[in-house]
Amino acid sequence: MLLEVLNSVFNVQITLFIILGVFTGICIGSLPGLTATMGVALVLPLTFGLDAIPGILLLIGVYVGAIYGGSISAILLRTPGTPAAAATVLDGFEFSKRGESGRALGISTVSSFLGGVVSVLALWLISPQLAKLALRFSAPEFFLLAVFGLSIIASISGNSLAKGVLCGALGISLSFIGIDSITGYPRFTFNNINLLSGMSFIPVMIGLFAMSQAFSTVEKIFTPDQITQKISKVWPTRSDWKVILKHAPLSGVIGTIIGIVPGAGAEIGAFVSYGQAKRMSKHPELFGTGIPEGIAAPEGGNNGVTGGALIPMLTMGVPGDAVAAILIGALTVQGLQPGPLLFTEHTTLVYSIFLGMFVANVTMLVLGLSSLKLFVKVLSVPKAILTPMIFILCVVGSYAINTNFFDVGIMLFFGILGYFLQKADVSVSPAVLGLILGPMAESNFRRALLMSEGTYSIFFASPIAWVFVVLTLITLLGPVVGDALKKKRIA
Amino acid sequence: MKKANFIVSGAFAAFAIVIIAISMGYPPSNHGVPGPGMFPILIASLILVSSLTLALLTLRMPKEKDTEIDLKSKNVLNVYITMAGLIVYIVLLPMIGFIVTTSIMLVLYLKWFGKRPWWKCILISLIFTIAIFLLFGSVLNVPMRFGLLI
Repeated sequence: MLLEVLNSVFNVQITLFIILGVFTGICIGSLPGLTATMGVALVLPLTFGLDAIPGILLLIGVYVGAIYGGSISAILLRTPGTPAAAATVLDGFEFSKRGESGRALGISTVSSFLGGVVSVLALWLISPQLAKLALRFSAPEFFLLAVFGLSIIASISGNSLAKGVLCGALGISLSFIGIDSITGYPRFTFNNINLLSGMSFIPVMIGLFAMSQAFSTVEKIFTPDQITQKISKVWPTRSDWKVILKHAPLSGVIGTIIGIVPGAGAEIGAFVSYGQAKRMSKHPELFGTGIPEGIAAPEGGNNGVTGGALIPMLTMGVPGDAVAAILIGALTVQGLQPGPLLFTEHTTLVYSIFLGMFVANVTMLVLGLSSLKLFVKVLSVPKAILTPMIFILCVVGSYAINTNFFDVGIMLFFGILGYFLQKADVSVSPAVLGLILGPMAESNFRRALLMSEGTYSIFFASPIAWVFVVLTLITLLGPVVGDALKKKRIA
Repeated sequence: MKKANFIVSGAFAAFAIVIIAISMGYPPSNHGVPGPGMFPILIASLILVSSLTLALLTLRMPKEKDTEIDLKSKNVLNVYITMAGLIVYIVLLPMIGFIVTTSIMLVLYLKWFGKRPWWKCILISLIFTIAIFLLFGSVLNVPMRFGLLI
């Protein structure tokens, strides 16, 4: 099997796809307004014609590259290229003000690489064990797992719990459309033949993440683009290496853990790592003035999320973040169902993903250290040219999946809806996670009751089920209890 | 933000009521196994509760926390015009054909957004449109020939 995996990753075609993915990812990530999720959603249609391994690795390359690429504009322009780089702005731009942007970019490149490698190692070590455990899951456990996932998403996404729940429930509601998987009864199809097979998942994603983002860019289309400065000396100095080696791997671990939690993405990973580095530091007051720790920690943290987010996705079919949700879509298009069976039936694919992700991180390091000048040039592509092209990529991409124009309409509808939801400060990620976890919850709930002939005690019959019940209760009641305790203490 | 919150909670509540009304007509549970209408009703009830919570929280929101949401400025109007243009585009696309519709649409947006000379807009749009046509049509085998023209 080892030979098969090595063969499937280290052949010219696949290596080229990984390099292409990382390169595209860095370009997309470095452009403010184009997020990692948007990049993966836009590249996804290109994988329909590819085999599973090159297709998935291309997307993972984009993901890894984009999360790193966001730091380039964060450091040079004080504008995070992706939300994941928002924490990097704090110290990164201070370097640029001093004319040391090359040094900052070098620190960010190496830290991103280390964070990414730590997360790939975690993915490699944890996933097979978790998959083994998940093989013992049956319908009741999968139902409770989905409920647990949904409860986390609702409680951590965005500023308002009510809005998070609303958006998650909207996603679940969309999953009802089409023929009911248990009884075969058509639901919410309104006699429209296009809706019988259900709401196409990928056009909804392209609309919510790419199109709505492009609409937001149109708001600022007439403001002039920022001009970037020249960079030099990217390779970190000896004292910078010390800082990087102290902070980036630890941040990678923090990022991985946050990546595993459904709904918590790279931006949270970066901020938590930044906060942790500040708490650990002997001179926390220097954070924000342009110190290497302020770049190494968030950059290690956000790339740490990339591997972490794939752990629940591959082993249980539960996406760790919005990008992992799109990757589920990509696997489904290839006829593969993420979950524990993937590890027994498609072992080569799974290990090729692990190895390919490592190669993607190495590619990112090499490209980052050697071609930064090129990526800085990408920053000068005007958004006035880029935005209309994104419109077309969204349209063609959502058409390509089923060669059906109805899907294009769906994409545009969700693009417009997503734009207004963003305006109202409603985060759209819970909707996508709801769209995946909703059917998982519903079908397993009903299947469990079919198994038990209608007795609800089946949901409490195994220790694993109890673990999920307790975790869900902690997630939902934790914040409420915490608030009450705080109030009591103040009173 | 207050106004937006009320609109969000109102729209979601209406959405939930429609779901419940439709799901009531679905077949009932069978031998203790929930029918196709049960989950939709459950989720719609959750939406109703959350909308109510959001509305109540917004009512109690202190005035100083209320931020203005821009829905009418010139920049936002540009977004509305863009959306309208794209709706026209996707309606015409299957009828007329990919290359003609897309390149015209692209020229218009490029000219409007970038204020570059016409010849540059036309050149960029033709190159991009044909590249996408060839990439999807020939390399990825997506049928790209539809409509009256090309």
